[in-house]
Amino acid sequence: MSFIEVNNISKTFKVQKRSGGLKNAIKAFFKREYKYVNAVQNVSFKVKKGEIVGYIGPNGAGKSTTIKMLSGILTPTSGKIKVDGFIPYEQREKYVRNIGVVFGQRSQLWWDIPAMDSFELLKDIYDIPDEVYEENKNSLIRKLNLEEIVNVPVRQLSLGQRMRCEIAASLLHSPKILFLDEPTIGLDATSKKIVRDFIKKLNNEKKITVILTTHDMSDIEALAKRIILIGKGKVLYDGSLKKLKNLYDNNKYITISTKYKINIKHKGIISKEKVHDGYKFIIDSKLINISDFLSKVSKSAEIDDVEIENENIDNIIVKLYEEYEI
Amino acid sequence: MKFYISYFKLRFITGLQYRTAAIAGVATQLFFGLVYIMVYLAFYDSNSGGVPMSESSLVSYLWLNQIFFSLIYMFYKDKEIFDIIKNGNIAYELIRPKKIYFMWFFKIIGQRLSNVTLRCLPVLIIAIIMPKPYNLSAPESLLSFLMFVVTLIIGTLLMTAIITLYHVITLRTLNEKGITNLFMSLSDILAGGAVPIPFFPLFLQRIANVLPFRYIFDLPFRLYSGNVSVSDGLNGIVIQLIWFLIIVIIGNLLLKKSLKKVIVQGG
Amino acid sequence: MKLYIKSLKLHLKSMLEYKASFIISFLSQILVFFSYYFIILALFDKFDNIKGFTLYEVLLCFSIIQFGYAFCETFARGVDQFDNLIIRGDFDRLLLRPKPLILQVLCSDADYIKLSRLIQAIIVMVIALLKLNISWNLLKVFTLIFMILSSIVIFFGIFLLAASYCFITVQGLEVRNVFTDGGKHMAQYPIGIFKKGIVYFFTFVIPYAFVNYYPLLYFIGKENNLIYAFSPLLTFIYLIPCFLIFKLGLKRYSSVGS
Repeated sequence: MSFIEVNNISKTFKVQKRSGGLKNAIKAFFKREYKYVNAVQNVSFKVKKGEIVGYIGPNGAGKSTTIKMLSGILTPTSGKIKVDGFIPYEQREKYVRNIGVVFGQRSQLWWDIPAMDSFELLKDIYDIPDEVYEENKNSLIRKLNLEEIVNVPVRQLSLGQRMRCEIAASLLHSPKILFLDEPTIGLDATSKKIVRDFIKKLNNEKKITVILTTHDMSDIEALAKRIILIGKGKVLYDGSLKKLKNLYDNNKYITISTKYKINIKHKGIISKEKVHDGYKFIIDSKLINISDFLSKVSKSAEIDDVEIENENIDNIIVKLYEEYEI
Repeated sequence: MKFYISYFKLRFITGLQYRTAAIAGVATQLFFGLVYIMVYLAFYDSNSGGVPMSESSLVSYLWLNQIFFSLIYMFYKDKEIFDIIKNGNIAYELIRPKKIYFMWFFKIIGQRLSNVTLRCLPVLIIAIIMPKPYNLSAPESLLSFLMFVVTLIIGTLLMTAIITLYHVITLRTLNEKGITNLFMSLSDILAGGAVPIPFFPLFLQRIANVLPFRYIFDLPFRLYSGNVSVSDGLNGIVIQLIWFLIIVIIGNLLLKKSLKKVIVQGG
Repeated sequence: MKLYIKSLKLHLKSMLEYKASFIISFLSQILVFFSYYFIILALFDKFDNIKGFTLYEVLLCFSIIQFGYAFCETFARGVDQFDNLIIRGDFDRLLLRPKPLILQVLCSDADYIKLSRLIQAIIVMVIALLKLNISWNLLKVFTLIFMILSSIVIFFGIFLLAASYCFITVQGLEVRNVFTDGGKHMAQYPIGIFKKGIVYFFTFVIPYAFVNYYPLLYFIGKENNLIYAFSPLLTFIYLIPCFLIFKLGLKRYSSVGS
């Protein structure tokens, strides 16, 4: 049996229709119209213990609704979830001892006092035994580099520092599963790296299962071997990141520096653009491989320099979204 | 001017969306109206002798106070304005090519008029059909009713100027709780919001009479029932207008000064 | 309990981060709350009794109600301001934690500025007690304590009801004021001054009458029946349906979402 089992869940919300203008505002005052929105539709997946799964999709795709259902905050309209033998939304109080949740855009730390005080309070909330608490706290402080910042009022911390404290706060009670909702949003490169390295290590050492939502594809590349892509409430892709890349990563960006004029036509050349000291090509490497392309070019012109770039993951995702029309 | 009007309209429309709030407001006003009336009537029942207002003009005053409560209650904080003050986004207001003072002025008056539009009619109707002595009586005369309308309109402008001034002061103090709370609740008392001014101890009546607050709703409400005569009302209108001008000018000057400070501090 | 006290300490610590603002707000609140007493003082300046109750009897009544209200506003702020918890989405955070929700909601906020109202209520209460000619006995001491406790209980119950309402919608919360501010306003006078129907409403629907009317009658010697002395304890029963309704609201919240 899998560690996390999500079986055909759906969630429907009732929302009010709104339209602009004074006339409509008055109309709406007397008669409200509602519509039903399917935030999540028939989503199923399984996660093994110790996996890191990237849960991605555009805004409004149903990511956070799924996370809320997985963490026991919302009850699905239909379908069933089982995590580590618990049904989250039915056995919430017992279940939540096993999970840690970090919302990138919300804070669980007290704004005006040092993070250390919040930690102390969390110790009581989760009934963490003294020894375990001390050990966890110290190791988190060490690994996340928090020595200097846990005793400063949270409002004085930078975003990156705060996020590191947030992550520590969600791990004090040694959860088995960690939900990260956009953990790197707004962080600078260094903070991002610290956070990612830490999560990776945590997953390796303690076999914590991590479910991560993000818009930052480099998070996914650094952390998740497996991604689940969701759009309009439905699962569109579930599999390894590598496979996804192979499927869509045919495009190569080739910049050629040359003084000569290049006139080349071939199947697989998607575009050609004149830049100041040469040309920029995008080619489909399935239809024409790179060496063939280069040898063709070198026949008509002398090449000073070549630069080859792979399609970046953001573009792949954009393409996927386009393909699924989301 | 067109800009400010559309600002006003936007606020007005937004306000209309809060239907549940309006219904709750009506319930609250009815409830409070009745409670106040019952308390006063209990006092009237158990004491004979000199009362400063006749029973029916007192009841009318109390109902009018509830009917227009969401327009005239002096404890009013515009959440949006306070938010921009507190989080320093005032800088964004500065890049707009309009006068901040009047933007705030119209925001506040738009919001309050839309609030009162939704709430006043049901309360008014119920207040009229209440059994005696709990009902709102007809105005003293057609003339006093006209005076009531005119003075209430100017009173609304005066209220807006004062409330806008308090928002400007908050921009200075950056704390919406301390002085702002104090000013707002004091002005509500001195306007006659808690107790009609004729019931004040004498020395307080004198103070209330020289301050602008009683010209917001005390004057129109007492004109309505004839507790203030039409000729006194005409004097009142002149004083209303003078106060309105003074407070708008003070508000503008203070805002200009405060903004300079904000700019120097870099927001 | 330990958790609650710890959170109270942390709230105090947070608040003291802004000392100047705290002091200014505290002082200004004292003056703001004075306006509540102003109504009574002004009216008793013109009249000498209300249905046989004198100024200090009314003030005693009112200060007990103010005490309970201010106590809940200070220490049960999280329940009072529950709509904020929902709107900001912080309530979801509480759902992620393995502790009883009501306890967590209590821990989520405390407003020490409202202590100014509490202190003011105590001062007024003491003045009223000194000015009234009470023939003290042990039972009256207990009656007074019961009244104060029941005042806290009843506002806590009403706050819980209002909080339960937030599970359904956070719109129209102004209606909460009818029951808190409005109820408070009525209960500042001995409920008996009102018409029968209202007395019944505040006896059986929202039992304010048990807080400061029936016991007050005993306390100031207008009634000698012992039931009156113990009547405030009935408000504790009132808490049960309040808790149940809160539980019901919670269930709805997790199936509907915000």
